[in-house]
This record gives sequence, structure tokens and C-alpha cells, in this order.
Amino acid sequence: MENNLIIFGSVTLAMKSRNLLLKNNIKSGLVRTPIHLNRKSCGYSLYVPGNFERALEIIRSNGIAVKGTAAVDTL
Amino acid sequence: MIYFDNGATTFPKPLSVRKAINEAMSDYGANPGRSGHKMSVKSSEIMYSCRDNAAKLFGSENPENIIFTLNCTTALNTVIKGILKQGDHAVISSLEHNAVVRPLETLKKNKIEYSVAECVPYDDEQTIENFRKQFKSNTKLVICTHASNVFGIKLPIERIGALCRLNGILFCVDAAQSAGTADINLSDSCIDFLCTAGHKGLYGPMGTGLLIINSETTPDSLIQGGTGSDSANLNQPEILPDKYESGTPNLPGIAGLNAGIKFVLNKKTDRIYNSELGLARMLYKRLEKAENVILYTKMPEKSHSVPVISFNIKNTESETVAKILNDSYNIAVRAGLHCAPLAHKSFGTQDTGTVRAVVSTFTTKNDVVYFANAVSRISKNNKQKKTI
Repeated sequence: MENNLIIFGSVTLAMKSRNLLLKNNIKSGLVRTPIHLNRKSCGYSLYVPGNFERALEIIRSNGIAVKGTAAVDTL
Repeated sequence: MIYFDNGATTFPKPLSVRKAINEAMSDYGANPGRSGHKMSVKSSEIMYSCRDNAAKLFGSENPENIIFTLNCTTALNTVIKGILKQGDHAVISSLEHNAVVRPLETLKKNKIEYSVAECVPYDDEQTIENFRKQFKSNTKLVICTHASNVFGIKLPIERIGALCRLNGILFCVDAAQSAGTADINLSDSCIDFLCTAGHKGLYGPMGTGLLIINSETTPDSLIQGGTGSDSANLNQPEILPDKYESGTPNLPGIAGLNAGIKFVLNKKTDRIYNSELGLARMLYKRLEKAENVILYTKMPEKSHSVPVISFNIKNTESETVAKILNDSYNIAVRAGLHCAPLAHKSFGTQDTGTVRAVVSTFTTKNDVVYFANAVSRISKNNKQKKTI
């Protein structure tokens, strides 16, 4: 299964990234990060069902810190 | 009441602000950034929207660098106490509020010193030179008000910032009295930290303020605690804004502030400024003609003023004038020292204080006429009493 989740350190960065992706016509959804993916820490992620690599590139090229990526089948 | 105490807090607040606060209290109001349910996410969306709008208003590229604080004082304390360490030196202007002076006095016990640069009203060259003269090899931070909360004098912050940048000194601006009224654009400035109240020219409710970080150097956090992020880590996160926002935030207040900032964005700062300056000039002209009224500044003008007017009536205490305005004319003003003893010392009013009149976007020409007539009558009546 391919990656579809981008994990962030804060809800603010997740929302900033979601808005940035939307400007680039990539849809994503804000979700709580599943606890097993986040070293038992709280946090928020973006679920990106399509254009994942492009989305990651846009976020990183805008200087937004990404904590990790993952593949999930249910949220 | 006829409200001229907008320097303390603006009143009334726009309807949109009151509506936004009410919605936060009655419609969604869950704890933001803590949960994944719809109400919590809605709360987080409102917080983010406020950061985004504040970033637009002040020309910040990064909404995450907009930090919510309780007020401008908390923002200033965060910068002052989070940047200065033992052996450091700071420079402030002679027009600073106690929100700047008192934290620095408190830090003296930690062997942190500060010097005061004399602001010379209407002479930017001399003011800048006075700042330069105070710099030492250990000067780390300059804190400067954008505009005096007592006399409305604007300082040349762009040039003071450039001087700081050239000397490798961090620059913090107190925009409590100017944000929303005077234009501030961080994208083309040398301001590292911008502190402001949310409840004055931004038309939000009391209990809101902003610290905007425009520097790679960030202050230590004043308080530490739960942020809703990185919870297994026992250390305070370094990520912005979480580093400075421990504990449950003032969501209804921030919702109101968001509506207030949108109100300012829609009206546009330059239009607000021109309209308020026009009213301040109208008031100044009338007070200038009134008998026995002492004014302390020149006529407010674009390059050097925000719409704040301080005055006194000869032989009448400022607090007495404020009481008569309240009791007999239903007019609200503030009198006394306005928490800025250095500014009063500069203008020779440390023993008398001043009566301060500040307009807002809701002030009308009729309000100004009524106010000036009231002051004129008080002045005449007091003169007659003295004569008797």
C-alpha cells in the first residue's frame, strides 16, 4: 500500500499545509494522527488520497517541517 | 456614553466581533488542537483563520509565527525575558509603557541593564542618533513603542530597525497603540518581534494579544505546559506557535479577534488612519482655541502621529477634568499617568498627568464637537470659580 498520510508536529502546520495543497489543486483532509504512528504523542496529519509525492514536495519546498509519512487504510 | 477612551480599549466592538464570540460560546466552543471531533477541529480552524488574517494584516509570511497572548504586556514580557540573559544590555525609548520598563527593572537583579534613548518629537534624525549613542558591545535588544500611548508621537521604527540590523541587535516593536491604525508591514521591515494588543485598534475583545515573530532567533518560552502536540515529550516543543501557547487558549476571544482583524482588513488600515487622523486634527483645532487648555504636541500629522491627544486644563487636575466629563457630560476619557511615567517625564507632565482623548473608527464629527464644547465649558467654569 502506498503512503497517503503526512504527519505534522502541530495542528497549525497541518492546516497551513492543507491550505497550501488546496491552492495547488490537491485535496487533503485533516485527521488526528493514529497513535501507533506517532510514538505515543498527540498530533495531526493530512490524509492525501492522490498526488501524494507532489503534495509532499510542495509542503517541503515551502519550508514546512514534516514529522513523517505513512500508509493507512482506515482512519 | 460618548466614548473617547479608545486608547485603553476600543468601544464599541463591531457587530461581527460580538457575533463571532457568541458563536464560539454557543455553537462549537470545544478545546482546539486537542481532539479530532468536529467541534474541536472547528475551533482549531478559527484559530488558524485568525493567525492567517493577522499574517495578512502585518505582512508576515508564516501564520505559525503569529502567537496568541493574553495582551500586549504578555507578548512584551515573552520577548524581554525570553531574549535577555545575564550580562545583556537593552535600549528602550523615552516614551515606553510600563509593560516594557517594569520587566526590565525586574531583570536588573539578573544583571541585565537597560538604557533609555531620548525620543525627540518630530526630529527623526536626532531620535535615531540618540538610539545609536546608547548601543554598547553587549546590547542585545532594542524595544521601542511604535507610537506613544500618551502623546500619540510615532517613532521612526523602520529606521531604528535598520540601525539595529546593521549593529546585529534584535528589534522589538510595541504596537499596542498603532496596530490596526498605522500601517505595519513585516515583510519589508527590520522588526524581529512585533507585540500588540488585540482589543484596541484590532477591535477584538480584552484578554487577547499577539506576538509576531519575524526572526530566526526565538525567545525562550515564559510558561511551559500542555500544547496538544508531541505529548510524550517531557520537554516544551520548539515548534511555533506551540512553544508559546501552553494551556487552553482563549478561543472565544480569538474568534472575536479574528472578526476584528477581518473588520480592519475590510476597512483598510490607511482609510481607518486617515479618517481617525482627520477627527483628531478637528479635536486638536477646537481644543487649541479653547481658553486655558494646554496641549503638549503639535497638530497631529501623518508622518509623526497616531490619533491620540493629551491635554490639561490650567489649574485643574487631570482626574478632576475626567470626572466632570463623566459626571456632567457623559464622556469617557482616561486621565492620570497612563502607565507611562517615562513619557510623562519627557513632556514634563509627571506631576499632573494628562487627560487623554483617543478616537476610533466609530467616533463621529458630532462626538468631537460635543467633546470640545464640554472641555471649553469646563475650562470657562473653572476659570470663573478661580476668579470668585
